Amino acid sequence: MEITEGVPPVINLTEVAEREKEEFEKKVSELIIEFGAENLLACMQCGACASICPLARVGFEWYNKKLIKAILIGMKEELLDDPTPWACVACNRCTEICPRQVAPFEVMFAMRRLMVEEFAIPTLAIEGLRSLYEHGHAVYMTGREARKKVGLPENPPSTDSDEKALQDLRTILKNTKLAELGLIPME
Amino acid sequence: MPKIGVYICHCGENIAGAVNIEEVKKFVEKLPDVVVVRDYLFMCSDPGQEIIKEDIRKGLVDRVVVAACTPRTHEPIFRKACEDAGLNKYYFEMANIRDQCSWAHWHEKEKATEKAKQLIAAAVAKARLLEPLEDRYVELNKNVMVVGGGIAGIFAALDLANAGFKVYLVEKSPSIGGNMAKLDKTFPTNDCSACILTPLMVEVANHPNVELLTYSEVEAVEGTVGNFRVKVRKKQTYVDWEKCTGCGACLNVCPPKARVPDEFNEGLSLRGAIYIPFPQAVPKKAVIDPDACISCSGRWFGEEPRRTKDGKPILAPCEKVCPTGACSRDEPRDPNGELIELNVGSIIVATGYRVMDKKHFKEFAPDSPNVITALQMERLISATGPTEGKLIVPSDIPKYLEWKKKVEKGKEAKLEARKPHVITFVSCVGSRDERFHTYCSKVCCMYMLKQAMLLKEKYPDLDIYIFFIDVRTPGKDFDEYYMRCRKLGIKIIKGKVGGVQRLPDERLLVRGYDADLGKPVELISDIVVLATAIEPNTDLKDLARKLGINVGAEGFLRERHTKLYPVDTMTEGVFICGCAQGPKDIPDSVAQAKAAASSAMSLLAPGKMRVEPLISEVNPEKCTGCGICAPLCPYGAIEYVEVDGKRRAKINEAICKGCGVCTAACPSKAITLHGFTYEQVLAQIKTIARKGVIEEV
Repeated sequence: MEITEGVPPVINLTEVAEREKEEFEKKVSELIIEFGAENLLACMQCGACASICPLARVGFEWYNKKLIKAILIGMKEELLDDPTPWACVACNRCTEICPRQVAPFEVMFAMRRLMVEEFAIPTLAIEGLRSLYEHGHAVYMTGREARKKVGLPENPPSTDSDEKALQDLRTILKNTKLAELGLIPME
Repeated sequence: MPKIGVYICHCGENIAGAVNIEEVKKFVEKLPDVVVVRDYLFMCSDPGQEIIKEDIRKGLVDRVVVAACTPRTHEPIFRKACEDAGLNKYYFEMANIRDQCSWAHWHEKEKATEKAKQLIAAAVAKARLLEPLEDRYVELNKNVMVVGGGIAGIFAALDLANAGFKVYLVEKSPSIGGNMAKLDKTFPTNDCSACILTPLMVEVANHPNVELLTYSEVEAVEGTVGNFRVKVRKKQTYVDWEKCTGCGACLNVCPPKARVPDEFNEGLSLRGAIYIPFPQAVPKKAVIDPDACISCSGRWFGEEPRRTKDGKPILAPCEKVCPTGACSRDEPRDPNGELIELNVGSIIVATGYRVMDKKHFKEFAPDSPNVITALQMERLISATGPTEGKLIVPSDIPKYLEWKKKVEKGKEAKLEARKPHVITFVSCVGSRDERFHTYCSKVCCMYMLKQAMLLKEKYPDLDIYIFFIDVRTPGKDFDEYYMRCRKLGIKIIKGKVGGVQRLPDERLLVRGYDADLGKPVELISDIVVLATAIEPNTDLKDLARKLGINVGAEGFLRERHTKLYPVDTMTEGVFICGCAQGPKDIPDSVAQAKAAASSAMSLLAPGKMRVEPLISEVNPEKCTGCGICAPLCPYGAIEYVEVDGKRRAKINEAICKGCGVCTAACPSKAITLHGFTYEQVLAQIKTIARKGVIEEV
């Protein structure tokens, strides 16, 4: 699970800063703020968010606290190929606990948006998006037998059993940035 | 027969937690002459004192022994209680069963109980022999000397002067103002330092109750509280201050050969041998630094001038340019200056601090001109600094000064000084470091944030890194200040820098560690600012010795009690404030200065002071005039007089502090220390030697 590829053993801050200035139109922190993490700069790296983050607990490399620090010093390339933000389960505990109202969860999601913008999406995420478009579920359900066994309808009362709702969802998706970027087929 | 009451304090759990109070009580009840034994949770509290007072008022007891904490803080409290109840307060004795008993033997409760018994028995043995004594009073001189003319000294002097006390403000440099005068802005409000300091400098200098003694140092101190005699050396200025108007004409004519690093600019530029410390100096007077002066006219003060062929005297440039004749070399001048004597009742020490030089830190490329201390950074960004506040790399300051000289002469010139793009701050340089100073210098975190903030606000394109071990911002509005810095995009990295390497292009390679990312980091920086430790001035120990006050292991002045007597010292009448006592910021220094001033006021305002009668007295019938005691007295209180035609020692009771040295040394036992007589002390020792059994008298 540990992803350290792309991050050298020594971080050269001069290179990081120069690349941020020369190659990108905007600073990474500015982009992340634009993508919804408005209070990013208030982070003081206390680590409370990481203490309860499920991603940190299972060993993902760029969990909330570390991701924020990397963004603050201007790292970007090193982060784009990392799957951590896509593994975020949006439990929102980090946002609840943050003493500076940084909302680390928003940083995770802003990072996703940045990655989408840069076409730097891991296969894992593409699969999820495709499934979302096709079935209305990012994670497609298996184990319908279990539902039957406990007396539930085989198909849940969602897009899975409601063709109209699924069509509505697809219409919404077609009107998002996702369609614009053409990451998944949408006919 | 004396009627002794013994009062045992639990001190909450402090004593009762180790000493079995009930067992001690049973033991004490059986001691000779003890008529009452009581215990209480806090004997020093109001109800606790009331227990003692009531027993006295009822006539139950006429000697009081309190077994509790230390007499250093609590003896006066219980003496007062005795006095209030109508008992001579010297019929009181204290047994310390806390500091050297319950605390020291916390894990050996039986032994602690045994020791408490013996200590109380010894106190009872002494109490049986106590004599009533009467307080005496000494007249107090109401003048105060304040040593050090920085922000703390200025405030202490002003408060005293405003209250009507005469103040001598002694400052060793030619101007008051201290380190604060060197600062650009001050946290957490970013007030301009000069704007808030300069008016105070002027106010204190012009105050009718303040006599300013700049360029002066304390040479010797004699006497005691209320009556100190101080010798102050006014150093030789080599410029007639009566005539000097501070016009500054002499400053520019001093030749390049006589130029030395400018103290005010922390060595970032040069000053002449004749100099005025800084533009807002108070008093604004020039002095000649005799070590730097090269006597370019070929004569020293008082020597015959050399003459041109046509007989005209050759004058030094400063002498020639001076419009008032203040720089004249015609008269000889005593290199030792002038010694003056002051009589004061109290002394306040506010001698401040210095910052550690970068030279101690080989790992941070101290040879590079672009590695600077934070105080140098203050000068670099200050409008009165070497570059008038223009931000360039320090290695190009000589280029800047040359350019400025040309422009001032009306020549066309282009400034080719490099502007920095990256500035790196390194915290805890020499602080929190066993190799240098173990303490935290307290102000560095905040001033680094301040400098970073000022720079980033003025030059938003600057990349600023601050490497911290911890960011310490305890103080009103301080953490909010820190957050403001973070929101400006200043890069704060947790982890101290371990090495700086000077590059051929005069930039610097910084090696640090980012604890958040768990990786070493490196960067190239144009300037590296070292937050070097605040340390006591080199001559502080010397001054402390003259004043008879203590310095701690770290070299700062030691207060009498950290919490209760924070500006007092072990020498009564001597108070301390500001960074001489320990690293602190301006608000704390000012608060302490005002505390020291009011402590001096409450000491001197009554005009006389009650002094404990616990002093030594010579019995002229036993004294043989042998001469042993006088040289031993640390206070010079003993002289020899004629008594019936014989030489006898006599103790000046206004000076005697009751230390007991003479009493112990006298071979004829002719000297009695009241409150600690031979009989009393021996009774105590014997009782302890007999494990708590008191010898019958």
